[in-house]
Amino acid sequence: MKTLSGAIALALVAPAAAWADVDTSDWACEFCPFEEGYTADMGVGATYVSDDAARFGNGLGYDEKGGYANLDGEGRYAKDGKQMRWAAEDLGLKSRVLSIEGGSQGQYMFGLEYRELPYRRFDTTQTVYLESGDALQLPSAWVTAPLTSGFTQLASSLGSRNIETDRQILKLNGEYLPSSAFALFADYRRQQRDGVAITTGSTYTQAAYLPRPIDDHTDEMDLGIRYKAENFNMALAYYGSYYRNGVDSLTWDNPFTSFPGADQGRTAVEPDNDFQQLSFSGAYFAEVMRTNIVFSAAMGRGEQTATLLPYTINPTLSPPSLPVSSLDGKVDTSNYTFTITSRPFDKTRVSLSYRQDERENKTPVSMWSRVITDNVTSGDNEFNTAYSFKRQKLNLAASYRLFDSLKVSAGYDRRQLDRDYQEVAEQTEDTGWGKLDYRPNSIFDISLRGGASRRDIDRYDTDIALSLGQNPLMRKYNLAYRYREFGELTAAVSFPSAPVSAAITVMQSDDSYSRSELGMVSSDEMRVTGDISWAVGESTSIYLSGGLDSIEATQLGSQDFGAANWTANHDDSFMHAGGGFRILGINDKADLVFDYTRSEGETDIAVSRYSNAADSLPTLDSTMDALRMSLSFTVSERLAATFSLRYERFKTSDWALDGVLVDTLPTVLTMGASAYDYDVWAAGVGFRYRIGND
Amino acid sequence: MNLKIGTGNSLRQLLLVAAAVLLPITAISAEGDYSRKGADTCLSCHEDAQTAAVFRSKHAVPSDPNGPFGHGQLQCEACHGPSGDHAGRVRRGQERPPPLRFGSDSDTPLEVQNGLCMNCHKADVGVGWHGNAHDENLACVDCHNSHTASDPVLSTATQAEVCFECHQQQKSQSLKPYAHPIKQGKMDCSSCHSTHGNDNDMQLARMTVNDTCYQCHAEKRGPYLWEHAPVAEDCGNCHNPHGSNHPGMVELRGPMMCQGCHSQAGHPSIAADSDGLPGASPSMLLLGQNCMNCHNQVHGSNHPSGSRLMR
Repeated sequence: MKTLSGAIALALVAPAAAWADVDTSDWACEFCPFEEGYTADMGVGATYVSDDAARFGNGLGYDEKGGYANLDGEGRYAKDGKQMRWAAEDLGLKSRVLSIEGGSQGQYMFGLEYRELPYRRFDTTQTVYLESGDALQLPSAWVTAPLTSGFTQLASSLGSRNIETDRQILKLNGEYLPSSAFALFADYRRQQRDGVAITTGSTYTQAAYLPRPIDDHTDEMDLGIRYKAENFNMALAYYGSYYRNGVDSLTWDNPFTSFPGADQGRTAVEPDNDFQQLSFSGAYFAEVMRTNIVFSAAMGRGEQTATLLPYTINPTLSPPSLPVSSLDGKVDTSNYTFTITSRPFDKTRVSLSYRQDERENKTPVSMWSRVITDNVTSGDNEFNTAYSFKRQKLNLAASYRLFDSLKVSAGYDRRQLDRDYQEVAEQTEDTGWGKLDYRPNSIFDISLRGGASRRDIDRYDTDIALSLGQNPLMRKYNLAYRYREFGELTAAVSFPSAPVSAAITVMQSDDSYSRSELGMVSSDEMRVTGDISWAVGESTSIYLSGGLDSIEATQLGSQDFGAANWTANHDDSFMHAGGGFRILGINDKADLVFDYTRSEGETDIAVSRYSNAADSLPTLDSTMDALRMSLSFTVSERLAATFSLRYERFKTSDWALDGVLVDTLPTVLTMGASAYDYDVWAAGVGFRYRIGND
Repeated sequence: MNLKIGTGNSLRQLLLVAAAVLLPITAISAEGDYSRKGADTCLSCHEDAQTAAVFRSKHAVPSDPNGPFGHGQLQCEACHGPSGDHAGRVRRGQERPPPLRFGSDSDTPLEVQNGLCMNCHKADVGVGWHGNAHDENLACVDCHNSHTASDPVLSTATQAEVCFECHQQQKSQSLKPYAHPIKQGKMDCSSCHSTHGNDNDMQLARMTVNDTCYQCHAEKRGPYLWEHAPVAEDCGNCHNPHGSNHPGMVELRGPMMCQGCHSQAGHPSIAADSDGLPGASPSMLLLGQNCMNCHNQVHGSNHPSGSRLMR
């Protein structure tokens, strides 16, 4: 029985369209090929990597020369309303992924995912340290010296030490639907990291690079209930994050000639922390002027109660006792949002939103007596600072469809940030913007957006700046007055009859910190991107894409704690260009996919001191050529073979690393990392076999 | 979910009629009767692989009472609308009335298309969908493929390719030398962004920038005994999470980036130039990790002697 026509039902377009009642008793779906039973694609393959290259293996696991065996696949099982799906990816690599999900759709669902993510930073690094848990020891024959040039045992003590970590991520999630209106959900994630990172240990005027062990994990969980009604939905949720570090501290032998008793140093590492948050959010749709109201409120608490280390491990020093054995750090957070969107007239849309984020640091403040890098007591008493802030944001926006082809929008945003213990206590930013969306026909689509914003401050408290030892003329980057002009043009064209489409985006943003005598004074950014794609036929497509990103910034500094006497000009650019094609179903047997991208990043920094001519640092340069190609060939209905090739050439010039050997710096023993320079290809062959139902 | 509107509610019918009068829905052609036999009617013509693929998707699970193919539901016409006219006889030369089509290039208004999806997925998209930028400009099917067993936008390995079709600037940034493993297909955009929208800035997955970053970098959360004020306030003060020319995805190269704030007398304010390169007088203020050669605890220190972030 039909009670309403489709057209009338369609008029109820928000929150959802609805259809009429209809008698479906004869709708047997006899010809519906529902999936029942088991089906799977199983893949096995091998890849050969031509050379060692840490960065090439970043994220993928192909960081060492040699052969890699691999397994992957996906499968589904469905029977009597129950489903199970699984997928495996790169099981033979350090980037392996395995996921399973299943349940009875509409009643309950569950999922499990295990994922590994390798981070490979350097494979050119060396160290003199022997690692023993959280202690780094020098070789017994090590001879200390005041400068690296005096390290007589250096060459014989160095050993390779890659800088790399592996992240294992386990996700469990479930959802139970006791009725069509309610859903209970629970997500759990554990991220575990192990490996080695670089840190440094300083001894006042000297420092040593340290291969620090990484062994930590974070447990996160989201639990909650969702409710939905025709015009209303809401969610009540709990979020918890629990970070645990398996390393309490890092102790190292000082390779330099040391102060009395300072032959070792000890540093803190990231302490365990907990964060818990309760949130409530909802949305209501009122048919009056088609109005949506969305709100959320969240309250959270972060805690950190790790046992503090002593001021020093130097046995010759006797600093006072710690004021507390644990920081007992507490941070309360609150977040409130409210958005109302309405269409008072058919062609008009207005919205108003407000949000407030607050971080209230309730960590107790104590008096501390610092020991300078395990060498000497400072003799100063200092107090820890519990930084808090409150951020508020108000947005007003309206759009009006002037013609069918033209929509005009405008808006105003105001942000306010209130802080304590910093040079700027109250900061506001007002932004006005306008936008035109012009679509004269189905071929062209153009949008133009522009506006300006002014970030203002109540005052820059130079008393606080001086108390921190800062030059009172400095205006910190994130606290300074700033005027910004911005604009963005997006144009797209697509020809339905000739399947070619193209798009270009141009964005320009100019920042002026005109009231800063020191610090950042200007920063201009431009981004251009474009792409074109051509569907040559039903099974063949070609694309080209490219982009250019440029940042020019100027900062002023003073070496004399006075007015500006040096300038640094930064010219940061990045471009990429690439293209590729896909040819599918070649003779109904083969698919060929090809992608190539070239990218170049360059940074020029010119520094001029006093009235001298600008002195340019060597260009920081990185160039990458990346090619990926695969040919899949159908051998039979169930068997397919794939040949793949991945090539990457990456070369960088980096003055921070180039020519900096472990002992190049007189007072810093580095790990001698080299700038990236590799040329690697990985060729693979794989077979996929389908089992189960067709 | 129940896709049907109840009968006998005259107030509702009145509202619907009023809404129909108020809204100019001239482009919708999927009015009229339903087909005689539902999906069987559709499949008598639509034998192509794309149509058949829906039966490998979550949309075609007959045991799901709320799904389009659940008992008593409207099958293909749950999404494509009443298609009796489309399936019926047409005169020679007469164009067959199309069913509802999906996508930004469809004649069907976006809000109608998305409203249909919302009939079932309101709770899935969360409370922030209505009014956000995606809701206003995109059809659900611009990102989602409802006729497939594996929707590319729901897979970490392929999601970014979908997002980058529009977000070209972010695609460009992801190719920079130092970036999250997006291009390797090992991290997806939804790790950080709630693509269906919420009230958060930039539709972040968590309430704030820092809360979002802490999902994977929880060790930075603290609170620390010695906090670095801009760190606690906003990770974006120093980092560009979409990619950078500089290690650590920082905005500027050190030591200049640090000198954008630090101006104390002595070494923090000394200009670093080519005099400090290896061929001249190698400077610890310029080379290696420059400022971080000593002040390595830039995210905060929990050491009682760590007020200068050196322990």
